[in-house]
Amino acid sequence: MSRASASVRRAARALEQRLLTLVAALTAVVLLVLFYYPVATVFADAVLADGRLTVEPIAAVLTSEFYLVDIIWFTAKQAFYSTLASLALGLPAAWLFARFEFRGRETLRSLTILPFVMPSIMVAIGFVATFGRNGTLNRALSLVGLPPVELLFTLEAIVVAHAFYNAPLVARVVTAAWESVDARTVETARSLGASPRRAFRDVVLPQLLPSIGVGATLTFIFTFASFPIVLALGGFQLATIEVFVYSRVRDLAYAEAASLAVVETAVSITLTAVYLRYEASQRSAGGAANPLPRRSVLPADWTPKSTLRTVGIAGYALVVGLVFVVPIASMILASVTGGDGGLTLANYAFLAERQATGASFQVKPLPAILNSLVFAAGTLVVAVPMGVTMAVLTTRRYRGRGLIDVLSMAPFAVSGIVVGLGLLRGLVFGVDVLGTRIRVTGALAIVAAHAVGAYPFVTRNVAPLFARLDGRLVESARSLGATRTRALVDIELPLVWTGVVAGAAFAVAISIGEFDSTIILAEGAGSYTMPVAVERFLGRRLGPATAMGCLLLLVTSASFLVVDRFGGRWGEL
Amino acid sequence: MRLELDAVSKRYGSATALDSVSLSVDDGEFFTLVGPSGCGKTTTLRCIAGFEAPTEGTVRFDGESMAGVAPESRGVGVVFQNYALFPHLSVGENVAYGLRFTDPPGGGTRDDRVAELLDLVDLAGFEDRDPDSLSGGQQQRVALARALAPGPDLLLLDEPMSALDARLRDRLRRQVKRIQSELGVTTVYVTHDQSEALAVSDRVAVLNRGRVEQVGDPRELYHRPRTRFVAEFLGENNVLDAVVESRPETGGIRVGVGDAVFTLAEGRRVLGRARAVSDKRAKNDGRDGDRPARPEPGDELTFCVRPERLRADAGTNRIRGTVVDTEFQGATTRVRLDWGGTELVVAVDDGGEQSGAGFEVGTTMEVGFDPAAAHIVE
Repeated sequence: MSRASASVRRAARALEQRLLTLVAALTAVVLLVLFYYPVATVFADAVLADGRLTVEPIAAVLTSEFYLVDIIWFTAKQAFYSTLASLALGLPAAWLFARFEFRGRETLRSLTILPFVMPSIMVAIGFVATFGRNGTLNRALSLVGLPPVELLFTLEAIVVAHAFYNAPLVARVVTAAWESVDARTVETARSLGASPRRAFRDVVLPQLLPSIGVGATLTFIFTFASFPIVLALGGFQLATIEVFVYSRVRDLAYAEAASLAVVETAVSITLTAVYLRYEASQRSAGGAANPLPRRSVLPADWTPKSTLRTVGIAGYALVVGLVFVVPIASMILASVTGGDGGLTLANYAFLAERQATGASFQVKPLPAILNSLVFAAGTLVVAVPMGVTMAVLTTRRYRGRGLIDVLSMAPFAVSGIVVGLGLLRGLVFGVDVLGTRIRVTGALAIVAAHAVGAYPFVTRNVAPLFARLDGRLVESARSLGATRTRALVDIELPLVWTGVVAGAAFAVAISIGEFDSTIILAEGAGSYTMPVAVERFLGRRLGPATAMGCLLLLVTSASFLVVDRFGGRWGEL
Repeated sequence: MRLELDAVSKRYGSATALDSVSLSVDDGEFFTLVGPSGCGKTTTLRCIAGFEAPTEGTVRFDGESMAGVAPESRGVGVVFQNYALFPHLSVGENVAYGLRFTDPPGGGTRDDRVAELLDLVDLAGFEDRDPDSLSGGQQQRVALARALAPGPDLLLLDEPMSALDARLRDRLRRQVKRIQSELGVTTVYVTHDQSEALAVSDRVAVLNRGRVEQVGDPRELYHRPRTRFVAEFLGENNVLDAVVESRPETGGIRVGVGDAVFTLAEGRRVLGRARAVSDKRAKNDGRDGDRPARPEPGDELTFCVRPERLRADAGTNRIRGTVVDTEFQGATTRVRLDWGGTELVVAVDDGGEQSGAGFEVGTTMEVGFDPAAAHIVE
């Protein structure tokens, strides 16, 4: 009897000793099936015709003037301008955060994480509500008797919306670098005879440049692959590669879509690889023990110089208000404004009515909300264990570690459109495995795509905490008899749980806001989510779309609060 | 438990951390690994604990190879320099952690065992305290209690005192030694502090660059270092290079150092070997004293004389040097002499307030040593 129980215990322990390896293997399989296989499917579409290898579709893309100039060049151009705009808008914020003391500084700083969790389609709605024909801007202009302006479907609108997204990222990264500048290095330069301006140029700026490079590169990568904002604000007239891939998919021109996607993925992966290399070489130690002092925004005495500075800061604050507050406020305002300009709840009533009486082919709000929540829950269940496992694997040293790092972070570089397209063409349409046709439903495929997009955020939130843990904690636990898995559960996870919670909140926010792959996979199916519903309403009437957008804002604000509460980080970005 | 390392090597890429280290530690012994940083002592400890796998060679517990045995299955208690207490668990939970995987030795309850161990390290009643609220010395004692709670056969201590101040370190060292001998647990202690190594150990292994330089009891190592490295690493020493002049009928060896000629004894103490004949390096683990070959005239050799064996009032080998520096150290005064370009350290017994006061920098001082005070090293 006791021998039997002892052998059960031994077997359980043997399993426990291998559990981490098993979970790691499982993660690898999940990645393979849900990410690498779909992406490979897209590549196959581009290079295979009737089972034969061909370069024709890709060659066609690369020799077509339309694709090269109107699509690829435009994509790069708008990404470049967006990067410049994000730097212009973000760097003054970094300066203010790092060098000035003012009320709400900490709050504003934590708000810079908000854009990450904001669904891009919602931001697009905000900009439509601001700059559209009947938007806030034109109403304000008509109040003072000026003629309306048409800003939608221009490059400027796209660039400003991208700055909304990425300027906070630039501000965040550069602020962190600025705060880690040791004041003593500046004091030393000054004592050696450097003027304040000279000390900034020689001592501070060189320490900021890497972070500015990181912010700019990331902004370029993100805006190069931008989809919903360009779709909503540029239409098909101003199409990036992403948007055009989507339009080709809608026209069922898969080979063309795939070729374009391959070109885009190649560019994105190259950029991301460059970025990761750069980031690895630039990782700083974090906050300095002796940071530069902060002064009040209101000067103690009003010299011409300090007055100029204060006026400049006030002007900047105005621009920030216009870019960040007005679009969100406009969306909320538009959701409660009727066609006659008066306050009304008609838009919300429309949603309720559509829910009650809408035909089955029409987009209803309740299924959208439910689908969003269900997919978010599914994403959580898949992405959190995957992300934590990857965090464990990427903070340990072993052979082939570099390869694991790259393979696990590849979802960062591949757009949701490509993953969505691959899942659609592969698992959703059906795959023959050993004579059995395997198909997954659109809903499952959406969860898969969301999980693949979300787990790197879990990893990026948890891995730094793992890396900071003293390895001897685990060794102590093991010498006391704990298996590696037990040490993970008993010791490590309780110490990194804030990162896990923050990562989980990120995962939820990403799933709820995800648009790129969802819109492809939800095509024709009933599994549309809130962002997809917003986009469908947006095509017809602005009012209900903004009302739907407000619901989306509510849900994402909740995830922001959780992320902020648990010290969420965008990696150490 | 008897611990053996049989030709254990550990390489990281092209870097060699351990180069064929062989050691054996007897049951109940307090065995110390000492050496400068990077000498491989911590790597040795990690190979014993199972945190690292040796590239070559075998670690054996009671004759049984530990190859492929996971750290959690070895029954080894480990205490680290930085304590590595689990910060999210209370002191009591920390000590009880190992009892989650094994029954408390002695048949009592877990709580009894925790109380017993905390009592052993003079922290009775600290069960509910938060590790962060304890001082460094208290944290270290909790770490010791935690390591001992499951009743390990082997205790590994990795520089456990390094983060503590000197006075506390002395007290804690005596406490660790007392607990170790009470429990009779085989202990391997790693330190870079040679005085600590000499003070607590039954036997000491001196490591340098991944190799064992010498193994022996503290007195043997101090008085009869086998190599120049051991002579200079353990305590202060004056190490001099010499050439053998003759071997007089009256015994001993006459050697020349620069212009001076000294007589060295060739008795039991002279265990080193002259370099000319040292090519036949005997393989040994340092435990059997290797008998020296007889140095012949013309051979080069190195010998050492401890500062306290250089005396102003005695010694047949006389040296006159110039005082370059003095340091008052309480019981002794260290006087540094320049002797024709060679620096010598002399420890002068402090016989009261006036003694030692006469060594002004720049004055000449004569000291001497007996032939038996010199010790020839490899």
